[in-house]
Amino acid sequence: MRIAGWTIIAVALAALLLPLLLPWNYDQIDWSGVRAAPFSHGHLLGTDSVGRDLLARTLIGTRVTLMVAGAAAAVALVLGTLWGAIAGWAGGRVDEAMMRIVDALYALPFMFVVILLMVVFGRSIVLVFLGIGAVEWLTMARVVRGQVLALRHRPFVLAAEAAGAPPAAILLRHVLPNVAGVALAYLLLTVPQVVMVESFLSFLGLGVQEPLTSLGILVHDGAEDMDVAPLALLVPGAVLVGLILAMTSLGERLRDRLAR
Amino acid sequence: MSAILIRRLATAAPTLLAVILLSFVLMRAAPGSPFDGERPLDPATRAAFSAAYGLDKPLPVQAARYVGGVLRGDFGPSLVYKDFTVGALIAQGLPVSLTLGGLALVLALALGIGGATIAGTHAGGIADRAIMTAATLLTAIPSFVTGPALVLVFALWLQLLPVSGLDGTRSLVLPVVALALPVSGAIARLARAGLVVALAQDHVLTARARGLPPRMILWRHALRPALLPVVSYLGPAAAGLLTGAVVIETVFGLPGLGRYFVQGALNRDYPLVLGVVILYAALILLFNLIADLAYGWLDPRVRR
Repeated sequence: MRIAGWTIIAVALAALLLPLLLPWNYDQIDWSGVRAAPFSHGHLLGTDSVGRDLLARTLIGTRVTLMVAGAAAAVALVLGTLWGAIAGWAGGRVDEAMMRIVDALYALPFMFVVILLMVVFGRSIVLVFLGIGAVEWLTMARVVRGQVLALRHRPFVLAAEAAGAPPAAILLRHVLPNVAGVALAYLLLTVPQVVMVESFLSFLGLGVQEPLTSLGILVHDGAEDMDVAPLALLVPGAVLVGLILAMTSLGERLRDRLAR
Repeated sequence: MSAILIRRLATAAPTLLAVILLSFVLMRAAPGSPFDGERPLDPATRAAFSAAYGLDKPLPVQAARYVGGVLRGDFGPSLVYKDFTVGALIAQGLPVSLTLGGLALVLALALGIGGATIAGTHAGGIADRAIMTAATLLTAIPSFVTGPALVLVFALWLQLLPVSGLDGTRSLVLPVVALALPVSGAIARLARAGLVVALAQDHVLTARARGLPPRMILWRHALRPALLPVVSYLGPAAAGLLTGAVVIETVFGLPGLGRYFVQGALNRDYPLVLGVVILYAALILLFNLIADLAYGWLDPRVRR
């Protein structure tokens, strides 16, 4: 758990700060060193097929991937919490209907819905995280609804109700703070999911667009050149897998600790 | 049994209809048109094209015609692959994708359940830890990383298998493995958890007390309840395989449905993308249905 936590922090800090220290920009072309080998022409990891520094691109790609993941997870958190809290609080038929919708959506091919959104509204980075957030909120809705349902008839909530507090205030002040821990654990589990979806889309050319880059694009570009420059595939691939692994294991530990 | 079937169909059918309508509306809401090219078309040609594809009719009429067509298996003409209907493209791609997905599912089940059986019967041991670490690792590596990595090792460095293309059985090995690995990891984790619980149950203890050989206890008494979580995972697994196939077909240059889908998405080929999404949704709903029925068959408590 420690290792996972520190891995995430280290990768995030590296993506945030290291680009400032590099002499190369992620989209800057080094004409004298196109397809440079690692440790040549002043490029630690070499350059890609148009002469852009691979280390700088990997760091910026990681940053973009993490930013998209964070934003999409936030969208999923807001949507899922709202939906789940309303369903759990209302109970009865409203709850039944709202959760039926969630069940039905669960059966849909998420990835294709996001791609559909991309095709329809054009490929932009805002849409990437809005679209992913719009399909990843379902689990959050289920979790929050279960928690709210369990808290609904606890004495302190009933007391607030008897004291005449409006439902919105009770939800905000008394119920949601008690849901926050579990929601946070699932949020942490949503992030690696989103990272996967984002890289998947970018790999296919349907997500983040050039010259901006993300881990998915880097893996794709690396795969094109892997016969001559295997590091271009292996480095971004390893960062991607390490991030997903660390976030998943941290999220699972937190969930097991908080949720029964 | 038939009660489950009817209940499930009652939710699956409207879901599918909603998918068809929703994707239709989304596609029509898209800015730009398939006739936007390098050179602008003159208005007369444009109008003729619109009329030929029925794009000049009011939206509800277009929607009704589309849904009607889909229900008869007619997805309309492809806008980019001239002279092909979407149905024809699907008919070309689907066998490749189904072969790929089917083989991957079989391999994932074999690897996952096999690994889980070894791990679960040696719970806490070295084999258990090694297998479960591998399984966790596999679920974290997306197939678009596994695919190129496998090509790098087995096709480029060791030169054992072809890099890409569809040419005989050998060319299917790497795609099937790359597609199966993430799913097999998930299956192994589920099956091991189920097996550990099942092995600790009273009926297994009774069987052991009566001196049944361990192999028989495993096959006759423990594995069946242990696999219930795996069965309910089959629906999501099918979805995962279909999505994975999109990437795998692109990586390995296989002429499957996923490749047409990506091309369609990049080219704004509305009818093609719509047709494939609807087909995928139907397949996933079908798989969830099969999983539910299998669950009822395996677990008598669910039959009502």
